[in-house]
Amino acid sequence: MVSEVRKTRLGGREGAVIARVLPYVSWLITPLLILLGWQLVVSLGVYPEFIIPSPAAVLERGVEVIVSGRLWENTQVTLVQTLLGLGIGALSGVFLGYFAAKNRWVDTLLSPLVVTFQSTPVVAYAPLLVIWFRDGITSKVITSALIVFFPMFLNTVVALRNVPPSLRDLMLSLRASRWQMFTLLEVSSGLPIILGGLKVSATLAVIGSVVGEFINADAGLGFLIEQARNAYDTPLVIVTVLTLALSARLLYGFVEFLEGRLLHWQRRGSR
Amino acid sequence: MMRKLFAFLLGALLLVGIPAATAQETRELTFFLTFVPNIQFSPVYVALERGYFEQRGYVGDAPLNVVIEHGDEPLGVDLIAAGELQFGLVSGEQLLAARAAGRPVVFVHEWFQEYPVGVVVPDGSDIESVSDLAGRRVGIPGRFGASYSGLTALLTSNGMTEADIDLEEIGFNAPEVVCVGGVDASVIYINNEPLQIANRAAAGDCGDVTGVRVFPVAAAVDMVSNGIITNESTIAEDPRLVSDVVYAFDAGLRAVINNPAEAYLISADYVDGLPLDEPLRAALETAAARQVEWLAENPTATREAIAERRVALLTDLQAQFSSNSLIQLEVLLASIELWDADRLGFSELESWEQTQAVLLEMGFMEAPLDDLSSAFTNDFLPGTAQG
Repeated sequence: MVSEVRKTRLGGREGAVIARVLPYVSWLITPLLILLGWQLVVSLGVYPEFIIPSPAAVLERGVEVIVSGRLWENTQVTLVQTLLGLGIGALSGVFLGYFAAKNRWVDTLLSPLVVTFQSTPVVAYAPLLVIWFRDGITSKVITSALIVFFPMFLNTVVALRNVPPSLRDLMLSLRASRWQMFTLLEVSSGLPIILGGLKVSATLAVIGSVVGEFINADAGLGFLIEQARNAYDTPLVIVTVLTLALSARLLYGFVEFLEGRLLHWQRRGSR
Repeated sequence: MMRKLFAFLLGALLLVGIPAATAQETRELTFFLTFVPNIQFSPVYVALERGYFEQRGYVGDAPLNVVIEHGDEPLGVDLIAAGELQFGLVSGEQLLAARAAGRPVVFVHEWFQEYPVGVVVPDGSDIESVSDLAGRRVGIPGRFGASYSGLTALLTSNGMTEADIDLEEIGFNAPEVVCVGGVDASVIYINNEPLQIANRAAAGDCGDVTGVRVFPVAAAVDMVSNGIITNESTIAEDPRLVSDVVYAFDAGLRAVINNPAEAYLISADYVDGLPLDEPLRAALETAAARQVEWLAENPTATREAIAERRVALLTDLQAQFSSNSLIQLEVLLASIELWDADRLGFSELESWEQTQAVLLEMGFMEAPLDDLSSAFTNDFLPGTAQG
């Protein structure tokens, strides 16, 4: 009954237009609401402006660091570390995850270790990585790769174990080779779960990279946040945090795009 | 029925009221400290254990119940500036940078009378002066904080800039990096890392290094280091609280300077892993008791005489214990040398001017403060009108 009423209210062309426009408008509405709330907190003087600066002050500082090139210089460093960490972590996670899914011994050896490390906060062991791999971006890339590795490993194991046995039997009855089993069945069937893991990993990679920068760095967005905090430049801290959020969102969006391209057959099939 | 209900409500109100009344008996005060529990915070531990915070009461009101909170400096300064906390031990340059960015914080007690940063070089090194650092690899924890400010001041006073040296960020690992020859020199806290390196060298655990030499920043520039900060509103609305807290810290500091053996024993309850086996504890207890007697017999003992007693204490203990057992006591004794002064806690405008000049040189401040003298006050020190 309720769904009928909704159908009537949003039915026909109106409903279709709203459904099409809503995702785009929500991109605008949510930040606008946050901005309004933020300005309200500033106007009411809930906190002094050095703790919560006004949106205008943050915008002004943002323009300054964009024009000076300081923001982009540091964003580049973080992005390079993040992409390297994501690549290394994702590839090694999928690679070892595949063998763990296929071989009980590998699984028995690796899984407890992976679960233990996944439950350990990266900030706890990141200082050690910085000491061990001190030079340049290496420690940040490794921190990022490690944080990405765990979800990719686990998702790959789950993905391959979820291949329907009936399809596996069908392939075997058709005398499919190992390679054919891998490319035609396991990759196609496991890809949605693996890409789901990659989406989560894309945002985690940024966290890994920045955690390393917080501990020891001379460039990057984490370093810029530390510099801004030490200079009591709260507007710059917020500008940098927003840049980090945007970078993570763009990476997530890229994986979504990749997912759309690689899994287009799935959507066609479900129509 | 109504009477029963009334009695029940009254009983409930009393029950709810009891904890509130108990809570009002003491006044909670959080004292912010940077880093982690450390022997260098012994003046605070001694003030807490000796009850100096409660000693003067509080305007006839509830006594202070002080708890310690550790965190990083910018966070502590912001919490104090926003009135979320009221007091903390923070470095002078952080205070200036914070005031330049609009934080209403004020320095009320200069704990370190000498800037604790310097540059350490291995004994056999051909670096014999600061100018010899040109073109050499110099380690630093990072381009932030007192180490960076100190290095900038040291280089500037010798007509050099950062570009003249090969500066490498090594985190807080100077002893390890210096011992393996990873750098030619390193920026360090003079009351800590040189002792650790010398300790390793003595144990044959520091490569070719047999000892160290230190170039202290304080020998070149008089900069403000760590001290107590509070916010302007606490000073305006609650000056008695400020003087009580300054009094308590100052009394703790004096107690540490006068009797470091006792301070070490007290600090062991606060600092995890402080070397203190039974023989060392017994030796320190004996030394502390002797010092109490000596101070009672010599109530007008001079700074120099007390300093001699500290040297004698260390010499005596070194004859009985390994350098590993005594390393933290040595850190405390070296720190005392940086704290001790004729007028504990006193700040001079000239030191603030030099600190500001360094921050301007580093680009951490864009312009000098309009009124630098508002950044600090000596008005709450014991013996002054408000103290």
